[in-house]
Amino acid sequence: MNKTLIKNTGYVNWRKKLILILIIGSLTILGVGIICLNFGVVSINPKDIISLLLNGTQDKTKSLIIWQLRAPRIVLGALTGAALSTVGGAFQGILRNPLADPYILGVSAGAALGACIGIALQYVTGYILASYLPVFAFIGAMLSLYLVYKSSKISYSANSTGLLLAGVAITFLFSALITVLLALSRRELHSMVFWLMGDLSTANWKKISIITLPVIIGSSMLFFSSLDLNALSLGEEEALHLGINTGKLRIRIFLIGSIIIATVVSFTGLIGFVGLIIPHIARLLVGPDHRIMLPIAAFLGGVFLILCDVLARILMAPTEIPIGAITAIVGAPLFIYLLRRKNK
Amino acid sequence: MNIFKKSILITIFLFIALNLFLLIGLSNIVNYPLTVIDETGTAVTVPKEPQRLVSTAPSNTEILFALGLGEKVVGITNYCNFPEESKNIEKIGEISPLNYEKIISLNPDITLAYGGFQLKDIPRLRELGINTIVLEPLNLRDTFKSIKMIATVCGIPNKGSLLVNNLTKRVDKIKSKVSGISISSQPKIFIGGTSETIYTPGAGTLFNELITMAGGQNIAAGLSFWKKISPEFVAEAEPDIIIVPVGVMNQEEESKVKEIISKRTGWSNIPAIKNQKIFIVNEDLFYRAVPRLVDGLELLYKIFHE
Repeated sequence: MNKTLIKNTGYVNWRKKLILILIIGSLTILGVGIICLNFGVVSINPKDIISLLLNGTQDKTKSLIIWQLRAPRIVLGALTGAALSTVGGAFQGILRNPLADPYILGVSAGAALGACIGIALQYVTGYILASYLPVFAFIGAMLSLYLVYKSSKISYSANSTGLLLAGVAITFLFSALITVLLALSRRELHSMVFWLMGDLSTANWKKISIITLPVIIGSSMLFFSSLDLNALSLGEEEALHLGINTGKLRIRIFLIGSIIIATVVSFTGLIGFVGLIIPHIARLLVGPDHRIMLPIAAFLGGVFLILCDVLARILMAPTEIPIGAITAIVGAPLFIYLLRRKNK
Repeated sequence: MNIFKKSILITIFLFIALNLFLLIGLSNIVNYPLTVIDETGTAVTVPKEPQRLVSTAPSNTEILFALGLGEKVVGITNYCNFPEESKNIEKIGEISPLNYEKIISLNPDITLAYGGFQLKDIPRLRELGINTIVLEPLNLRDTFKSIKMIATVCGIPNKGSLLVNNLTKRVDKIKSKVSGISISSQPKIFIGGTSETIYTPGAGTLFNELITMAGGQNIAAGLSFWKKISPEFVAEAEPDIIIVPVGVMNQEEESKVKEIISKRTGWSNIPAIKNQKIFIVNEDLFYRAVPRLVDGLELLYKIFHE
């Protein structure tokens, strides 16, 4: 992309640009999604897939595989990727810290602890609990959110360090509790470890219908804070001079972002790296203006996670590689490459 | 009077017919559709004699083959390594998370799953319309129950009972031998591994059950399930025999394992090490709820008392 073009028009014509991004982004996600319907452990002729998409069922097995397995995974991947990247970008903004990711403020550790407790209980109480794991994860996430919020208020200053440290402290505490649970468990260990690595394979339409609204509404709310985030990126004092209550802004973004993440990770487990790296890639591509950067990050994150999940499914089929490993293996070199290109 | 006679005749006829029917039902023919209650408490209906079976656990695979149902098995996991004949059957991948797409594509009539870590995968399997029966045998008796259940579902209850009867006889033989040995003269047993961290099976594990049955005193019987224990615990318990369950190993590797265990610091006073009573055994005979558990039991008895 041409840098001078961005500089001249970035703040003036951003509305046009945004509409363009939304259209191109949606089409890209749709296209990538349809192409990725073709990949899986069972080979299905692309012609069959097209006819399945257009006129429903002829082969029951194939239609099950496409509609109930591959399609939900792709949609869940897109939503999760978008959510993680948007929240990651916003958190990097409020904390003014390039190492921030959606998990840094503790909400994921809470979700993980909740899920691990749920898994441990599942072995005591039996079968019924197995379907309610997301509820446990969400309750855990809300608990950690509350604790981080409370402890950040104790630290007198409303600056970014207070919130960040509260998040890190709670993360450490909850991770330690998870370690204790893992050490105590034997039979449950496998399920817990897998939850911690993240997994899209359990995607179904019901889960998607639950997370879609929080992700879309939440991300839009983050997007509408773009101008404030832009001001904050100039510096704490500069933002205050521009009339922005940075403390309130920080808490607002923290709460919205955490609720989005809590909803998503309750169903997918902790998929790492996406929320850290995609916002940086978006910034490298289109610059730091949050009004443009956040939507781009959302689309990039969606596409990135769909592609990673395809790799996870087919690289060692029928064995599935944990998606968290793929995101890091693919994402890290890509990121370093982009950094180098920018610095040249 | 006539009516009275008639009704008696009819009653007798019905009685005989019912008995015949029951006899046939008990002997070998299973009437489909058949409904069974599985380990998750779910009523699973089997519409017809299943011809395509998928097994999502090594234990299920072994039981199917032991019942002579190997030909009907169309999918097994990466971990199913017994018997040899199962090698060429299509793989469905890991034990968990299950690869739903692969399972669906195999078009199974019945999928035999395992409880435990597969619990979280089961609702999804059923949601996708895969007829799933969940088994989770945690002791010898449950294992026999699972064998009978699988046999019944597959239309060969006779074969199941026969297999279980044979196994029970072998178990009883060991039991009667052991009953003559007083507890004080039974050897103290430690189940150890080669790694620095020691996990050992306590009460509630298959291993512990077999040790007790074979006339041994598990030093970790006071703990429940698999527990991480300290080397001190072992040194203090002074086991007479150390059993090391491993995968397939050659002579050289085995002596290496014995050497490693013998040289652990602080263990030099353990009778098992002083007398070199360290035995390397095939782990599959003790972890899996399958007919081969009885092989394991007999092997333990041999090690302990012969």
